[in-house]
Amino acid sequence: MENKYNLKSPAVKRLMKEAAELRDPTEHYHAQPLEDNLFEWHFSVRGPPDSDFDGGVYHGRIVLPPEYPMKPPSIILLTPNGRFEVGKKICLSISGHHPETWQPSWSIRTALIAIIGFMPTKGEGAIGSLDYTPEERRSLAKKSQDFCCEACESSMRTALLPPSPDREPPQDHEAQELAQQISFKADSRQASESGGATSDPPTPSPGESSSPGDRDSSEDPLEDQAEGSSLAPPPPAERSEGPGRPLSPRQRRAHQAHQRRETPPPLPHPDAARRTLAGAGPRGRSQAGTAVLILVLTLALAALIFRRLYLAQEYKFDYEL
Amino acid sequence: MAEEKQESSQGEMEGVNCLAYDEAIIAQQDRIQQEIATSNPLVSDRQALTVLQNEYAQDDSIYQLKIKDLHKKYSYIRKTRPDGNCFYRAFGFSHLESLLEDSKELQRFKAVASKSKLDLVNEGFTEFTIEDFHNTFMDLIELCEKQPGLKELLGSFNDQNVSDYVVVYLRLLTSGYLQREHGFFQHFIEGGRSVKEFCQQEVEPMSKESDHIHIIALAQALDVSILVEYMDRGEGGTVNHHVFPEGSIPRIFLLYRPGHYDILYK
Repeated sequence: MENKYNLKSPAVKRLMKEAAELRDPTEHYHAQPLEDNLFEWHFSVRGPPDSDFDGGVYHGRIVLPPEYPMKPPSIILLTPNGRFEVGKKICLSISGHHPETWQPSWSIRTALIAIIGFMPTKGEGAIGSLDYTPEERRSLAKKSQDFCCEACESSMRTALLPPSPDREPPQDHEAQELAQQISFKADSRQASESGGATSDPPTPSPGESSSPGDRDSSEDPLEDQAEGSSLAPPPPAERSEGPGRPLSPRQRRAHQAHQRRETPPPLPHPDAARRTLAGAGPRGRSQAGTAVLILVLTLALAALIFRRLYLAQEYKFDYEL
Repeated sequence: MAEEKQESSQGEMEGVNCLAYDEAIIAQQDRIQQEIATSNPLVSDRQALTVLQNEYAQDDSIYQLKIKDLHKKYSYIRKTRPDGNCFYRAFGFSHLESLLEDSKELQRFKAVASKSKLDLVNEGFTEFTIEDFHNTFMDLIELCEKQPGLKELLGSFNDQNVSDYVVVYLRLLTSGYLQREHGFFQHFIEGGRSVKEFCQQEVEPMSKESDHIHIIALAQALDVSILVEYMDRGEGGTVNHHVFPEGSIPRIFLLYRPGHYDILYK
């Protein structure tokens, strides 16, 4: 691998270091680059104890952008787990969907710990999130141990060190702290997306309600999905992604306009958030309109089919008579 | 205002096909960023201060008066790319440039900079993730020691990899200092956030713009005095300045216009 990459590239230099740092599995996580690609890693994480994921070991991919560590990695779960959709880039503020909050001093290890800490938090309709029942999650946790990855040839039974008897995860605190930071972002995103009539923007912590750089998500969603599904068993019945998504372009546009103008530092984002909230009304109406339209069309279609059947039967009756 | 109108007319499209729409926005945004990038080098050549006059309408009396006022004290300007990192880049370049002709300060600064990584590690930053940034920063200081031409330093600062790594390290130094002195800085943070949260949201991520609090922290962390001239739409016809830390003798002169910092020269 050493010969294949330009060692002067900052990303290569950094990833080599991280690969060495993460070489040996711990009891909580392990991640290594694929043999033929330093920019794609596979990881395994242990579900946090005292949660529905206790006893589970989950496997996934990490895709690093060429600009890493200036841009965040994307995380894709391959083991069904009931918290994150399989084969889809995860919407954590730490991963690709919110690049603006990524910090270059974070690492793949930070991302893994964040994933562990984030698992027990609520999905609440965020992109890539699932809210399965505790029972479903527990049964998936049990099954997760049977997973073997064809690409990196690791088996979940042996991927990590066995948990130590005292079950006192050393980085538990760190995980929780990271998870808090991240779930905070998820919450406020939720707030601005559900877009009520409130005139007060959520406590403005600039930048997080707008997501200028969903760029990563466009990178190769199709390829990811395809790859993901070829590697993993088909995802369980997927729940709807929730209503949140359509607003993000607006937020982004607002943010973009601000970026272009480079308004004074403390102001830009609360403003953007306010506009976002104000703009939520018409969209809600147009969605309702769409729903009514769909309903009417469905009814019309049903009527036509019914008529057709009726006619057919009549015709049959006639024929028999 | 115009933007809002545009938004409402586009509002109907959103429900129809927001995925394609997302992609269009992302593409557009990339274009904007590229446009900014191609029309603005990360750090420009030094230009006569008169270029500022042409940036504002002749009858824009507020700005034209203030530019005249600025002329009394300064003769040149060096612009930085407006990408949210301009304060750090302007500071970094301006200070290293001044070190080319001040070997005493260079030695002092080198000692402070080389020790700074250990301070950050002691504060809990992960050594192997910050050392690349630190090394890049030290490489540039050592480059200055060799007394290269200004061109070489300017070249390094216009190499996106090098330049961004310097920005990251200056952000880390700022964050480290704010957290070390959190008892003091806590009073200046709005929104009920802790200093640590503030650093993680407003200091360490790239492209987050800088305010007084960032400037004072970096100036003190490296013990380099910074003077900022504030030029905005305020009445009065004169440009106000502020020295960080207060009462010190400034080494670096920056021009602030809402949202952006450039470098000034006497």
